[in-house]
Amino acid sequence: MTDINTITGNAASPSPARRGALQNPATVAMYAFMAVVAVLVLVGAFTTQGFLTTGNFRSILTATAFVGIMAVGSTVIMLGGSLFSVSLGMTTAVTSILFMYTLRFGLVPAVVVTLLAGTLIFTIQGAVIGSIGANPIIVTIGAGAIQEGIIGWLSPGDIVPPAGANIDFLAQPILGLPPSVYVFLAVAIVADLCMRHTRSGLEIYMLGENQPAARAAGLPVAKLTTAAFAVAGLCVAIAGILIAGFARNVNLQVQGTYTFDVIAAILVGGTAVTGGRGSVGRTVIGALIIATITDMLLLQGASTGMQILVKGLIVIVVVVLLHLARHEGRMS
Amino acid sequence: MSVHEASAAKRRTPVSRRVQMVMPSVLLAAMLVTFLVLPQFSNREPSIFNVYNAFQLWAAYGLVALGVGLTMIAREFDFGVLGVFAFCPMIAVKLGEYDTLLGFVVAIAVAAAVGFLQGFLVARLRLHSMPVTLGFYIALLGATITISNSQSVSFSNLDLGFALDADMFEILSWRSIIAIAVFALVFLVMRYTPLGRDIRAIGGDRRASRMVGVEVDRVLIIVFMTSAVCSALGGVLLAYSFATALSDPGLTPLKFAVTAAILGGVSLVGGIGSVVGIAIGALTLSLLQELFSILAAPTYVSSLVTGALLVLATIVAAPGLAARYKSFRSPRAGSTGAVAAPSRRLPDTSQ
Repeated sequence: MTDINTITGNAASPSPARRGALQNPATVAMYAFMAVVAVLVLVGAFTTQGFLTTGNFRSILTATAFVGIMAVGSTVIMLGGSLFSVSLGMTTAVTSILFMYTLRFGLVPAVVVTLLAGTLIFTIQGAVIGSIGANPIIVTIGAGAIQEGIIGWLSPGDIVPPAGANIDFLAQPILGLPPSVYVFLAVAIVADLCMRHTRSGLEIYMLGENQPAARAAGLPVAKLTTAAFAVAGLCVAIAGILIAGFARNVNLQVQGTYTFDVIAAILVGGTAVTGGRGSVGRTVIGALIIATITDMLLLQGASTGMQILVKGLIVIVVVVLLHLARHEGRMS
Repeated sequence: MSVHEASAAKRRTPVSRRVQMVMPSVLLAAMLVTFLVLPQFSNREPSIFNVYNAFQLWAAYGLVALGVGLTMIAREFDFGVLGVFAFCPMIAVKLGEYDTLLGFVVAIAVAAAVGFLQGFLVARLRLHSMPVTLGFYIALLGATITISNSQSVSFSNLDLGFALDADMFEILSWRSIIAIAVFALVFLVMRYTPLGRDIRAIGGDRRASRMVGVEVDRVLIIVFMTSAVCSALGGVLLAYSFATALSDPGLTPLKFAVTAAILGGVSLVGGIGSVVGIAIGALTLSLLQELFSILAAPTYVSSLVTGALLVLATIVAAPGLAARYKSFRSPRAGSTGAVAAPSRRLPDTSQ
């Protein structure tokens, strides 16, 4: 089976994604598709008024940052074969609200508490999923309902304003770009390096590629799954803080469409939903593709509905094409 | 629910299986007792009207649960139900302004087409159902928001809604009777035709089913079409009832559906679950929601309780739990691949 080969490849080579690029026709097909998308975007770029401006590139990067940070973290979950969290947006809102609330105790405590809380919320779910093989979709839906309940119980739907603390710096542009863009870059680089060059990262790849094999090889499946969720939770908390700084007034509505935007970014990047194949870098590209096309549609005057429609179509097309390419690669 | 059928389909985790068999009925019984007793403590009386209300909710979201539950039995997952639940009512209402019947027929036809397309992609191309159906959900939601201009669209045919909601036998309405009829139809098909056996079989072991001659592709397409049509029907009837189609119904229908299916004993491991179980699970959840409204409880209580129920049910039914329990007794059994979590993988993708 090809599974075995890929696994040994993963274990031997520090960079599975790069190594496969020249040998696997699937990956070649993927790049071909990306080239087509790039051409479309280029054509669109020259025919769309106001697209090729520095200001617009800034707004694309800004629009990518929040989703991108969370997508990078969730990529680790998907690579590890645990699909994704269906209540990610809820945790985004919860961490935003928590950050705003704890600001009254000072900035540093607020950041620390929020990061810990976001990590903890996801870690618990990861532990349940990893240790007894509970289904990620159902566990995360349930966990989302519980978070919604707790927030509703603590502050009945009210907006939580900043309590006297100065958080302007969270939205203050540095060299023309908001801090979230730099954070996105940093998170992506760190996560990518960890996934490619650390033992745990490679073990997560292997776990996602073939769980029974990983188990047979003695990998700590429960710990790895828990760790993957912890990373994703940390990223959600980071985004939650930045979103709080950006939105100023936060409530449960903050979650917006983050849950599915994040999953869409990962899928469009080309990470396999069953895990094992893909990378953090791909997710960054996926997030940028979606943000670019959405931005272009916005400039063309398309409605919100149309932007969502196109996003959905991109997900379908990419998923189908990628699968076809991979399938062909495996059959031959 | 038949013991023989179910145990033939899956015998990996007997402990959790047995729990799953009795869980739906026990939960419903517990729910009924709570429903009758709990309000007394806060000087409230559950009335016939409350039961009617619970069935009204059941008629809308229960049908979504039936669709999602069927795909789960076939070891797939259908996010697309959310899409048709949003899109088809919008079509039914928009076209219904010209001709109610035309709107209804087109809405259901669209649902069938969406289901066919999803089923085709999943079956023929052997795609994982989650990303595909997620794409369909997002696209259909976008389409709904586009044609509705982000506004709820009201339906001028108020009489239809009144007629559908008029109570029958005190606790039912035409709407809930239609839902019961759909459940009954799917139940009969699942119970007495080869299709039902095939759906369980492809959920239990797809490769083996293919080998023994089950037309896996055809069965999968039928499952996805049924799923889409059921949820669309639930949504359309609800829209008639409210005389309104929403531009974004949110995730509530899916959350309800998945919770109902899980409480009804359906497992994402595949091959496990029954139509009656799904109906019972959905009814339990509907009564729970109605109980909260009798008690005038804040919505967060409902979120907390359903969330906790869902997590508990999942943990009890998780494939690894029984194996873990066993591995305490004989440590080697649990640690060497016996605790596979098959729900994470589509069986066929490695072919």
